Amino acid sequence: MVFGTFSDRKRLVANRSLALCRNEWGGIRLRTEEPIDAAINWSPTFHMRPNSTLIVAVEVNEYLFPEILKIAAHDIEHYNFPIAVYQACPLDVYQNDARLARANLLADHGFGLITVDDAGTTRIHTRAEPLAQHIPKSRFDIALRPLTQRLKIRFRAAYATYHIDIGQGLQAAGQIIEAMITCIAKHAEANGVVPARTSNRGTADIIDALSPTNAFRNYRAALGGARHFANRYRNIASHNPRGPQEAAEKLRRCKEGFLEALHIAEELRAVMLQLGCPLRII
Amino acid sequence: MADILKEIAPTKIERNPDNPRIFFRDEEMDTLTASIRRYGIQVPITVYAEGKHYVLIDGERRWRCAKKLNLESMPALIREKPSRLRNILLMFNIHALREQWDYLTIARKLPDVIELFKKENSGRTPTEVEQSELTGLTRGQIRRCGLLLELPKKYRETLEEELSLPKHFQKLSEDFFIEMERALKTVQNRVPSAIKNLDSARDALIKKFRKETIKNITDFRMLSKIATSVKRLGVKESKAREALKGIFDPNNKTSIEQVFAEQFELKFDERRVILSADSIYDFLETSLEDQAAVSVSDKLRKSLSRLNRLIERFLKS
Repeated sequence: MVFGTFSDRKRLVANRSLALCRNEWGGIRLRTEEPIDAAINWSPTFHMRPNSTLIVAVEVNEYLFPEILKIAAHDIEHYNFPIAVYQACPLDVYQNDARLARANLLADHGFGLITVDDAGTTRIHTRAEPLAQHIPKSRFDIALRPLTQRLKIRFRAAYATYHIDIGQGLQAAGQIIEAMITCIAKHAEANGVVPARTSNRGTADIIDALSPTNAFRNYRAALGGARHFANRYRNIASHNPRGPQEAAEKLRRCKEGFLEALHIAEELRAVMLQLGCPLRII
Repeated sequence: MADILKEIAPTKIERNPDNPRIFFRDEEMDTLTASIRRYGIQVPITVYAEGKHYVLIDGERRWRCAKKLNLESMPALIREKPSRLRNILLMFNIHALREQWDYLTIARKLPDVIELFKKENSGRTPTEVEQSELTGLTRGQIRRCGLLLELPKKYRETLEEELSLPKHFQKLSEDFFIEMERALKTVQNRVPSAIKNLDSARDALIKKFRKETIKNITDFRMLSKIATSVKRLGVKESKAREALKGIFDPNNKTSIEQVFAEQFELKFDERRVILSADSIYDFLETSLEDQAAVSVSDKLRKSLSRLNRLIERFLKS
């Protein structure tokens, strides 16, 4: 019997959330109460593989954000297959969560939430993204703090895109870095540090032109970081993964790239402040 | 056969169908999961071999956590397969000495113990003392289980539903039903005319408790006192009946505490004072007869003088 060891209330949640997930993701290669892999210290209540690059796993638990999800998070994040994880719980558990503290923690850690009421009505409260790509909102907000208002707006838009399409999100973050480099180049052109129209070239070429100059002698580390970023993350979005391992790797690199972009933006912002270079970014 | 300690894959273990424990609350399991993850399984579970599998005797929570944590193996003590009675009694005794199960858990399995005992003892029903010796439970605990067992199915299901909830969501506890049933039994014995339909009375009390008209489960003891007041205090049965009917009416907001305080508490206090006064009277009279009054302590003399002054004031008022 499926979910035979569950209480009636928990079984209702398990069956109803399973039905919802079947509707949502097709229930392909569905497994109940079985581990995903020996490398992951967790047996979800059920999991399925809707396509060749995603596993959706659900933990039915009456305690919001249980220890087992915290334990599993690290293994899932480093597993060679993107996994999106949901917790399913009775609606009253969610409603009784004081100030939604635990529900918010769950979301901040990248887990989705499904609730089921006594009548069996099921609802996805928070959507999950594969843990390997998840950037906690709290971490993102901290990284935004040193940036100007205009940069914050641009990065917030990139972060929103990142949740929908991780590659496009990274590309949007990359475009902010490129725009900052172009601003610095235009300022250098105006001051005769580099030849005119240097700013029309590609980001890597601009940095190569700026770095050897005396005026940028003290900013080579920041420029080097931007150069590395342009090289490493420029084409990720356009490469479609050929299998689950590549998909997981792409997610990890996109996440790494997005966080790197935030860090580089902070450094370039400091360079611009010291040079008196205005930030002209739309 | 001696017990063998072995590492066994949790997937090779099955739960014991006779395990009385049916409630595994997520919140409690969560704490154990974290502990096992951090420190491992410190105490081996106990199992017996059955074909290619093993069946649990003790350690279902640890086993569930090990499965949830996808552990490759867990330490287990393998014992010889026990008889069914011994199997149940082993589980009872393990838990009587350690963390106690819910009473309902025990109550559901106690009839099996009695039946199996009868089979092995030419149809003789075990006495309460024997049940206590077999299960490792006290006689009080067995009696409490009996009260839960006698609950009609509807209320047992209500209680089961409550017990399956996380602790902080539980409103009606086993103690609630035990206290309520004790009080209702007293009322039925002493003022039977107050309860026309026992289930209606139960429903009313449950409703009032859920709405916090009845605030505490110990209030049911006052309900018993109201019922016993007829015989113990000479209260008119009609008065007690009307008071009880008000409490059993689901449509008013009359609480047990309020009825007791307004109509019966003073009488119980009076009875208590009379008993105390009688006791003082007996002591003083005996002391005078024995001519021991001269040897009583100053402290008692002072206390009696103070009491004497107060009694005189009270009687003149």
